[in-house]
Amino acid sequence: MAQWQEVQSLANAHLEQVHRLYADAALPMVVRQCLAAWIEDQNWRQAAEPLSSSAARMLFHSLLALLGEHLGSPGLGDEDFMLKHNLRKARRDLQATFEERPEEFANLVANLLQEERRILRLGQAGGQAGAAPAPSPAPESNPESNREQQIQQRLAEFRTALQEAERTFRHLEEQQDIFDFCYKVHYLPGEDRTSDPEYTRQIQVLQAKLQILDRQRREVLAQLQQLLGRSETLRDFLLQELQAWRERQQRACLGAPTDTHLRPLETWFTELGQGLFQLLQLLRALWELQLQLTYERDPLKAETPLLERRLKELLTFLLQRAFVVEQQPCMPNACKRPLVLRTGSKFSVSARLLVRLQDRNHDMEAKIHIDRDPPKIKGFRKFNILTSSSKTLGAGDNSKEGLVCDFQYLTLKEQKDSRTGKGGKGAGEGPLAVTEELHLITFTLAYSYRGLELELETSTLPFVIISNNNQLSSAWASILWFNMLSSDTKEQQFFSTPPPAPWPRLAEVLSWQFESVADRGLSEQHLLMLAEKLFGSKASPESALAWNKFSKDGASGFSFWAWLDGILGLLQEHLKQLWKDGLILGFVSRKKEKKLLKGKRTGTFLIRFSESILGGVTCTWVEHPESGAPAFRAVVPYTAAELASLTLPDIIRDYQLLVEENIPENPLQFLYPDTPRDEAFGPYYSQRQDGNLTEQKKYLNRRLIRVSSRQANESWQTEEDLVTATENLETLQLQPSGLGTRQPHGLGTRQPHGLGTRQVMSGNLGMLQPSSAGPPPGMAASPGSLQPVPQSLEPPQLPQGRSGVSEVLQPGVGDLEPQVVLQLVTSGQGMLQVGPAGVGTLQVMPGDTGILQAVPQDVGMLQPLPRDVGMLQPVPGAVEPQLGSEAQGMLQLVSQDTGMLQPVPRDAGMLQPVPQDAGMLQPVPRDAGMLQPVPQDAGMLQPVPQDAGMLQPVPGAVEPQVGSEAQGMLLELRDLDLLPGSPDMQELLQSLTELEPGSGTLGTLEAAELMPDMSETMAGGLEGLSPELAGKAALLDPHDPFLPQPEDASLPVINSLFAGAADFPPLHIDASDFQ
Amino acid sequence: MGQRSGRQEISKRLELALNETMKAEADVQNSKEEAEEPEGKNQRITLVFGVADLKNGAVGLYNVGQTCCLNSLLQVFLMNIHFTGILRRITVPPLAVEKRRNVPYQMLLLLEKMQCGKQKAVSPIAFTYCLSVHGVKLFVQYDAAQLFLTLWNLIKKQMKKLDLVEELSYLYTIGVQEHLACQKCSFETKRNSSMLTLPLPLLDSNSHMLKTLEDCLQYFFRPEELTDENMCFCGQCGRKTPFLQSMKLVHLPQTLTIHLKRFCFEKSAYIHKLSHYLPFPQDLDFNAILTENQCGADGNEKAGWQYELFAVVAHSGSTSFGHYCAYIRSLTECKWYCFNDSEVCQVSWDDVKCTYGHSSLHWGETAYLLIYMKKRPQ
Repeated sequence: MAQWQEVQSLANAHLEQVHRLYADAALPMVVRQCLAAWIEDQNWRQAAEPLSSSAARMLFHSLLALLGEHLGSPGLGDEDFMLKHNLRKARRDLQATFEERPEEFANLVANLLQEERRILRLGQAGGQAGAAPAPSPAPESNPESNREQQIQQRLAEFRTALQEAERTFRHLEEQQDIFDFCYKVHYLPGEDRTSDPEYTRQIQVLQAKLQILDRQRREVLAQLQQLLGRSETLRDFLLQELQAWRERQQRACLGAPTDTHLRPLETWFTELGQGLFQLLQLLRALWELQLQLTYERDPLKAETPLLERRLKELLTFLLQRAFVVEQQPCMPNACKRPLVLRTGSKFSVSARLLVRLQDRNHDMEAKIHIDRDPPKIKGFRKFNILTSSSKTLGAGDNSKEGLVCDFQYLTLKEQKDSRTGKGGKGAGEGPLAVTEELHLITFTLAYSYRGLELELETSTLPFVIISNNNQLSSAWASILWFNMLSSDTKEQQFFSTPPPAPWPRLAEVLSWQFESVADRGLSEQHLLMLAEKLFGSKASPESALAWNKFSKDGASGFSFWAWLDGILGLLQEHLKQLWKDGLILGFVSRKKEKKLLKGKRTGTFLIRFSESILGGVTCTWVEHPESGAPAFRAVVPYTAAELASLTLPDIIRDYQLLVEENIPENPLQFLYPDTPRDEAFGPYYSQRQDGNLTEQKKYLNRRLIRVSSRQANESWQTEEDLVTATENLETLQLQPSGLGTRQPHGLGTRQPHGLGTRQVMSGNLGMLQPSSAGPPPGMAASPGSLQPVPQSLEPPQLPQGRSGVSEVLQPGVGDLEPQVVLQLVTSGQGMLQVGPAGVGTLQVMPGDTGILQAVPQDVGMLQPLPRDVGMLQPVPGAVEPQLGSEAQGMLQLVSQDTGMLQPVPRDAGMLQPVPQDAGMLQPVPRDAGMLQPVPQDAGMLQPVPQDAGMLQPVPGAVEPQVGSEAQGMLLELRDLDLLPGSPDMQELLQSLTELEPGSGTLGTLEAAELMPDMSETMAGGLEGLSPELAGKAALLDPHDPFLPQPEDASLPVINSLFAGAADFPPLHIDASDFQ
Repeated sequence: MGQRSGRQEISKRLELALNETMKAEADVQNSKEEAEEPEGKNQRITLVFGVADLKNGAVGLYNVGQTCCLNSLLQVFLMNIHFTGILRRITVPPLAVEKRRNVPYQMLLLLEKMQCGKQKAVSPIAFTYCLSVHGVKLFVQYDAAQLFLTLWNLIKKQMKKLDLVEELSYLYTIGVQEHLACQKCSFETKRNSSMLTLPLPLLDSNSHMLKTLEDCLQYFFRPEELTDENMCFCGQCGRKTPFLQSMKLVHLPQTLTIHLKRFCFEKSAYIHKLSHYLPFPQDLDFNAILTENQCGADGNEKAGWQYELFAVVAHSGSTSFGHYCAYIRSLTECKWYCFNDSEVCQVSWDDVKCTYGHSSLHWGETAYLLIYMKKRPQ
């Protein structure tokens, strides 16, 4: 926008200043308004210089002429009569005042324009800074928006300065043309015309013109120097912003809620880039000028290359930094956990060049490389990127979305020979586990714009490549650790010596995990509990956790991270809403829990996560007996398996505590601190279908609830007691010791009560009749068997048994297609035979501590985990119990010892475990073992457990696809060579530089002896023509009178002054002077 | 007509202000001759020069032939009110020839021209002519640190009045005490010496880059053992012995010039520039940097060792070819300006910070001379 227009759009306060400026000025505002564009386009400053009175005169007369034209133009109608009058008067006044001293007028206009610009700057800064009276660099409350404003303001200033420089350049061009013409006309070398006074006068004029030209050239150069200096500051600002964005992106990868859009950065980088490229063109044009006309000590010749190198370096640096990875590598279904890739799975990654400048006719090619510079770690896996690894960024098709290299649908494949030298799998592996191996993808872009050609390069954050889903959790732990602690985002050997994490940092990152999974981070109290769990009572902000402590070791058989990730999984699947709404207290130690509940009335309960079980949640409530200390009771934790069939609010609503002589009651009355249960959980209860009594019903309604039973007058006081008691509570809900991780009290404690109590709920829907100590048919190892026989002829029931204690579970509410919940855990020697309703039979015959978990409802998980010799024979009835027939089922078989599993569904289609994934079964039994799921009619499945990863399904009519994940993974460790740090840069430098010679004496002032012998040559000694002199160019002889001369006529020509000897003054200060 | 008369008033006012300044300056000169009591004199000087500095805004200096280095130094000199306070009291040489050859006088003329003119920049041609008489030629690239010493010495030498010379020395020179102690017999020699700049190395003895200006200062003042071929002759032992060389800071001047030795010599005599990052603070407290052993001054002197940054002379380009500009914080307005020959613009501390340097950018501006100013005692 033209300056005068901008001035007019200023705020009132600043407009007032403009009015004041013109109130005192000899140039009436009406003239300024009338000839705004022309006035702004002239170089008044230069015309105001002494020696250029001709230019000033020309400008002055042009102005008068233009005014005259304006007056005579017919466009001015009657209504402009006054305007015409004012213009006429102004013209007369100007002529009277400045006719004789046009350079004064030029100076006046130049100063006015400068003052206008100053007011404009103030006004614009004020407008941006809002109410701030002065643009002082004082730290503001919001540094971010402050910085944004600064950048915008500086970009605006940069643009203005660039326009100014271009304008100066155009004048220089004109000036040079005029000189060139005059020179060719008047300068006639070869003849001696010194006697001709006319000629001498002409030469003097020429000399003066050249003088001005020289000064103007220097002025343009100074302007460009200044411009470059300011753009360097701008560059630093932008790089700081970019760095802040990088850090934000890194945090966002870890789940932090932060804004990572690139739009403002892209705008800024593009604007600066564009300006700098414009500047580059200007420099090239300056160089052209110099080719047309040059003279001895032409500043253009010397300084333009310097400026160009500086500018190119700046541009290159800017472009290189502006190439960023916009989207870090991520699998499409794991958006919350990027940077973990699985071989064979698709992933995407994209990079963006923030400087959106591209030649129309030039395509740029982007390529990606994985581990271009792999770390020298023994056994470091090598991968190939499948599908295309290059992409062409065409011109034009990126106008909207910017210069983006978007790579979708990539997959990784491990190179066959990548493990060479390791002596086979499992042997001689280095210290880096698969999940600690960090890989990088590097983008390269062959950039070319306006003659500047560069190869730009950027790298992703390091990522982990896994081959199996169950490595995901520990892979994510690595990603967390790296991004939390590493300062060098290319450090692929980070896990050779992983640093410990300071607790405050770790706490923040852990909180983000909860926030990203369930929209609510960890509170102070939560973090306090976690800190105490990790560091004991001496936890402090200085505490730091070692990597091994975080992800590997754990007193309870699983690591801290595994425990936390279990909880995260539980939250994600089942408790998201409760957690988000703050109903789950979650992380409370037992000690703390007692403290909290002690003062509350009986029936006050809280929900917390189990510390002993992976992914468990439990309720603890307080009871105040008539006499004695308050008692605290907790239920054996619920895990995903249980919550899949019944949501936690429903469990709480219907929870019953059974004491032999009392009627069942729900002990959970008030959610801590004192919210009535139904008030707190009401919104989360699932709808009950009230029975319609009038309707003839096939079945009675039932619902699934949780109960605990205990002996009357039992009480628990100490914490140890509480633990035992919890065990003794005989929750019908079964403890899924899925990984066999923790059964602290063994079977002994449980047994005494085991067979004693049986409760059948919900209108006696089923009954369990365990017959102990009898050898099961065909199974010699199992000494006991359990046969629950339901009394009534009720519809499909699947009992849940646990060495003598069973629970009848009735899923669903209606009578149609009840969803089946089957949970079988046999922990003692015994055989469990469940025959629901006499229609179907389910036989589970595990040996020692075999555990069978079949939960096929929604999630569809079947987890038979026979630990010893055991046999499992679920024989479902003909009709209802559909084992995992609805949903995708998953069969997870882990037999630690010799084990046998024989699910024998009687009818086709009864057992259809449909694996989630591509049908890979990897049972990894440690010893010899056998796994035989044999669907009777359907087909046969015979995994050969001796060698991991082999599955031989023999499908019949219906093909049972068994998907099972190997548990108890064998981590693939590989050799790691600890390398000494890469050759030190410093050493290199050391070799390059030499120390200052140690000065033994002081008092001698040490002056750097930088005296480049550049152009030292005296003027007199210079002759000879510049080789570049082409036909049109004019070279001036050094003896020529055209050489720059001092403006002051009284001074001699500079050149003549240089004959003096180079007697430098002494560089010493005489010490005696000061004493 | 109203407009016009208004304008005349303004210009009159300006003239008036000018006249006042000139009168005050004349007064100063007179008063000096009359040997008035020094306190009143000083007061008047600050009065005058408080106005004088930047009265006309920051004014540029035209490049009249690779004079960017000279221009930058001139700006640093002339923006320093403590220096101009001395400069304005010089005796004017009587003869025209002498006038033309007198560096301080020409400098004063230049200052007047900058302050009185209305142009955005003035040409230092007369001054460069004067310098060339004394061997400082045009069209030669200078090292700013070296040219600073040359200029300073010329000014000092050509000032006729002894008290001004003394003031000038007091304003700029650093006093140090050099200790040499024989490691064999604890024979110690002390020597006081003066320096105009603190030439700070940017690399330590292992060629590792020092991290901050404070590190450089500490490294500069660290004691050094002179062994092997550096051994000195000990008069007491009668032979060459290893010596411990140490330096104590005795006096710091009002205007402290620090020279960052960014130009580095190699065995091959090829000079290269160290462009790496070296931050310097706006406020510098020598008491916090030097240890007790490294100071040889009394508490009074040390209490004044609080400095704030006044100017940065920055260099861009390579050793063989480059450009100088100066960042100067006006002592009256407390605003930063950047002087690029004829181009002057107001900048911020962020712009000055850009001269810290950057290890991967070799052509950008890097601070070369740092001029710190003693803070006013509070």
